[in-house]
Amino acid sequence: MTAAPTTTAPGVTGTWRFPVATLAAGLFAIAVPQVVGSYYVSVALTLCMWIALTQSWTILSGMAGYISLGHVVFYGLGGYVSVVTWQLLPLWVAIPLAGLAAGLFAAIIGAPVLRVRGPYFVILTFGIAELVKYIVINVEATIAQAGRLMFGTPPVTILFYVMLGLAVGATLLAWSVRRSRLGAGLIAIREDEPAAETIGVPVVRYKTYAYILSAVIPGMVGAVMGLRLTYVEVLQLFNPIISFTIVTMAIIGGSDDARGPVLGAGFLLVLSELLWSSLPQLYMVALGTLLVCFVLFAPNGIVGLLARRGGGRR
Amino acid sequence: MFKKLLTTAMAAAFTVAGQANAAEDPVKIGFSISKTGIFAQGAASQMTVYELWRDQIKARGGLDVGGKKRPIKLVWYDDESNPSKVAPIYEKLITDDKVDLLLAPWGTPMHLSVAPVAEKYKFPIVGNTAASVALRQVSPGYIWFPTSMFPDSIASEMAKMLKQQGIKSAAVIANVLPFAQENQKFLIPALEKAGIAVKINEKYPPNISDMTPLLTKVKQANVDAVIVLSYPADSFLYMKQSKEIGISAGFQFLLVGPSIPVFRKAFGDFANGIVTMGHWSPLQKKWWPRAKEFTEAYSKKFNMPPDYLDSALAYMSLEILEQAVAKAGLDKEKLRQVIATDTFETINGPVKFTGVENKLLPTGFLQIQKGDLQIVWPEGMATSKFMKR
Amino acid sequence: MDAFLSGQLLFSALVIGSVYALIGLGLNLVYGTMRLLNIAHGDLMMLGAYTSFWLLSLVGLSPILSLLIAALGASAIGAAAYFGLFRRQIEISGPVEKLEANSLLLFFGLSVVVQNLAALAFTASPRAVPYLDQVFRVGEISMTANRLLTLGVALALCAATVIFLRANIYGLAIKALIQNRDAAKIVGVKVERVQLLSFMLGFGLAGLAGVLLSMTEQISPFMGFPFTIAAFVVIITGGLGNLTGGIIAGFLLGFIEIYGVVLTSQNARSIILYGVFVAILLLRPQGLLGGRRVVR
Repeated sequence: MTAAPTTTAPGVTGTWRFPVATLAAGLFAIAVPQVVGSYYVSVALTLCMWIALTQSWTILSGMAGYISLGHVVFYGLGGYVSVVTWQLLPLWVAIPLAGLAAGLFAAIIGAPVLRVRGPYFVILTFGIAELVKYIVINVEATIAQAGRLMFGTPPVTILFYVMLGLAVGATLLAWSVRRSRLGAGLIAIREDEPAAETIGVPVVRYKTYAYILSAVIPGMVGAVMGLRLTYVEVLQLFNPIISFTIVTMAIIGGSDDARGPVLGAGFLLVLSELLWSSLPQLYMVALGTLLVCFVLFAPNGIVGLLARRGGGRR
Repeated sequence: MFKKLLTTAMAAAFTVAGQANAAEDPVKIGFSISKTGIFAQGAASQMTVYELWRDQIKARGGLDVGGKKRPIKLVWYDDESNPSKVAPIYEKLITDDKVDLLLAPWGTPMHLSVAPVAEKYKFPIVGNTAASVALRQVSPGYIWFPTSMFPDSIASEMAKMLKQQGIKSAAVIANVLPFAQENQKFLIPALEKAGIAVKINEKYPPNISDMTPLLTKVKQANVDAVIVLSYPADSFLYMKQSKEIGISAGFQFLLVGPSIPVFRKAFGDFANGIVTMGHWSPLQKKWWPRAKEFTEAYSKKFNMPPDYLDSALAYMSLEILEQAVAKAGLDKEKLRQVIATDTFETINGPVKFTGVENKLLPTGFLQIQKGDLQIVWPEGMATSKFMKR
Repeated sequence: MDAFLSGQLLFSALVIGSVYALIGLGLNLVYGTMRLLNIAHGDLMMLGAYTSFWLLSLVGLSPILSLLIAALGASAIGAAAYFGLFRRQIEISGPVEKLEANSLLLFFGLSVVVQNLAALAFTASPRAVPYLDQVFRVGEISMTANRLLTLGVALALCAATVIFLRANIYGLAIKALIQNRDAAKIVGVKVERVQLLSFMLGFGLAGLAGVLLSMTEQISPFMGFPFTIAAFVVIITGGLGNLTGGIIAGFLLGFIEIYGVVLTSQNARSIILYGVFVAILLLRPQGLLGGRRVVR
């Protein structure tokens, strides 16, 4: 298993301990496929997938407070790109291309979409994901593709390394955005958008940047996961459950700190491995209950709980 | 010191007892199933069969492993309806849980995901609930598909049957999801080749909630045959709305749905005359004497009849595996040999695999007649004659 | 083009529209008065549908009576949810945005719990209760009795709610709370009681809608989600908290769904529906009839 980078005392932000720890954990995790069987490699792959998705999500939704319930659209587009270009383009071209496609899509829809706020934004993002899903399904049906067979996709170990890179990359990206001018601007937007605008934060530009940054890595994640499938149905690539899971992981981990998504994803994955084998529905029930409890009693997620125990807030 | 000796002795005694009991060690049988997520509804009719079979094995005093009866234990995991989870689950079953036998997951994408795992570990798996021409592209060796529901043969058989019924015109409407699309792709040219005019050829989305505009068009086209390439939810919708709009074509076909027990219950007499794909019915007593027995056992345990497609296929795959294990034991290579070459007796007649396919089973059609599903095509296997709706 | 004028299409558009309006109404009541985003709305409908199914198949009770039972049952769940989870949330959470986000997550958690408990208790196998499925023909229009009943009940409930909001003292209080919470408090509206009432009304409407759907749809533990989404699309199109706007939007979307398909092809249905929704929000970020927070 990839160890959560820092479960140590809070107060690390502001130093370079976090990125160093992240990189160290990433390097350490390279050994995973040598140590464990292929099943656990795919568990580690899944963990990295969720970390990468949730970290990316926090760049817009955590920092600027624009909650996206449709992040699967980037994942799906990326996955579709890699599936369509499979055996036409090499992996190292297809995966960045998928990220580019997702980023481009975010750039195009960003400005108008980000004018919409609050619950309107939440449901709008969901609607966009569904709209794109049905368009892609129709494209597939029109070009007479009934499900695509994918033979000779790369082995899980290779995909794991790529995904590990994406997880580390997303974590470092979220961390550095948070420390940057952009991050400060985004947090100002979350606290009070009109006020932020008055004091000179380029609101529209910043929000669009955040949207694009939060889209690129999910696109690449989707590309990698597309190659995990042997038989591709578009419905699978745009499964709304992915969007919901991202939000749940961010909330349970805490979206206000780059450690949050790592902890959230790790915690849920461990829980799922423990319960899922014997009682899948009960796992879902536990998941729902946990979500409710976290919202009620620990609104800042696991990170918040740790900070409280560590005494004092940052 | 004494204590240590004592424990050693006890441990030894247990080991001996353990060895004596080796025959009682359960045979571990693993599989993944869509317990949650979008396939949970469909997969239920497969899981029930696995449970029924486990009980039956128990009642028979165990699974016959090369002549020796042994108890069995099912080991399963939820794949959350996510095909990318299936391959790792089967790897876990093989490497971690060290299962002795594997059963198939539910649905085409899942089967195709498992095929490479079976090959990698040289672990034979008898498939069941998959249907797609894509299955033929799987390299033969460690997985087999007993079904005869391949869209290209469905299309050609359909054209033959319609021609025989003197049908001149047809309307084809299809869900945009893959299985329906595959069927549409093969069906349209097949119909045209048979000289049947395709007056309407349209698609509809999977989450459709009202078909009135489409069915109004179909009604106006006044065709002899309405062919709906549907999934279960839209089969329901078609039934309700075709009743309202009054579509009266003598031949009405729904792809997936009518074989599900709740379908006949929901529509009662109105469902009479609906045709669907299928190759099994417990009413074929002459050919498949055990079919009725299975249906009765299933109905008794679950208080509803089995699904004539998925449940029957699932049971067939178990019968094949059971017979193969009785002959070959648990050795994977021997087992593969036997499954690949022997002929098996199942509730759906004899099964013999050629490559990945079971060529002994013809592609057929079922029709709901007086609340029962009768085989009406092909003629050799039919339990009843096709009746105009 | 004569298909365009057929009464059959009009009837279908009205039925879909009325269902959309009804499910949107319940959701809107809870959002309007308390700013809670009930993403478990469809799951309450699922519970209503199962109530109808079990009562009919076990004791032979007509779904028409189940309408009342499911409405009461769902209201009781609403009251429990209010006291158990949301009363405190509404009090403590600071800015409205925070409350909206939190409520979305809480209801999502509840939704997951309810769905999977239902799957454990009832199994995932789909069920159906055919009821009132005889067809009437009036002129060239044919109508299934249960669809006609759905249309009638949904219309009546929408009308009753609008009248209630105008004529009844509690209705007026709900309206006041939607329009301006603080001002309502000052003029002496018993906020707690009104909130409880909205919860019960909103949930009750969902349970009732579930019974109506049980007569026409397949019932399964996971049937609710598409309806939740439909309800959200409706009330967002109409403007959140704008009850009349939501009703209009429901019918509007029903008509777009039917006639949009007639003009293009059936296959365009989902694209048209989501396309219109996205377009409306991009052009009018506060919804079609939103903008001012007013209930007319």
